Amino acid sequence: MYQLKLYITGRTPRSQKLIQELKERLDSNCGGNYTLAVVDIFDDPDSAYEDKIIATPTLIKTLPPPVQRIIGNLMDNERVMAALDIKSLKG
Amino acid sequence: MSKHILVIDDEEAVRKSFILALKKTGYTVDTASNGREGLDLFMKKGYDLIYLDLKMPIMTGAEVLMKIREKDKAVPIYIVTAFHQEFFDQLKDARKAGADFELLMKPIGIEQIRTITEGILEGELILEGDG
Repeated sequence: MYQLKLYITGRTPRSQKLIQELKERLDSNCGGNYTLAVVDIFDDPDSAYEDKIIATPTLIKTLPPPVQRIIGNLMDNERVMAALDIKSLKG
Repeated sequence: MSKHILVIDDEEAVRKSFILALKKTGYTVDTASNGREGLDLFMKKGYDLIYLDLKMPIMTGAEVLMKIREKDKAVPIYIVTAFHQEFFDQLKDARKAGADFELLMKPIGIEQIRTITEGILEGELILEGDG
């Protein structure tokens, strides 16, 4: 099971698009074998400190270990999956 | 062609840290010590990325953000701030108006400025682990 958390800055059109595309890619790669929590940093700045967030948007993979954070062009979700080693279940 | 970055911050030490972090990257960095000066630069030149302080005299970062967004909806703007509710409250109006921006935590180190800037401008991914 992959456990992921996405930190965003408000529910802007850009962040909504990012969430949608990430979910589509995760559905494709992992089926139902993942959770994606979306955290609006304005609603929960304390979590951002705990998770050592330095910029938005940031995607964190908490499970399976090791914990990894990824910043940058998260729209390139194919590379995001590769960087976090989220493998496709499809052969 | 070199990419252009604008840093708007009233603290000289912060402006210097961005210049230092980015001087070997090949990017062109302009700095402004207040929002009015920053807006003047923005109107005269095009920028590929803007780092914007929140708490400044003359114009707040939130006011500058809204002015820039009236002219340019696309340029990436990173508000450089501590992640505290009291600072976030200043961005409420900008959020209600649908102004797009991202956040960069303050204080931030030289190496982090460089890697994040390259990530934003070159479309690269920055991977960090714990420890």
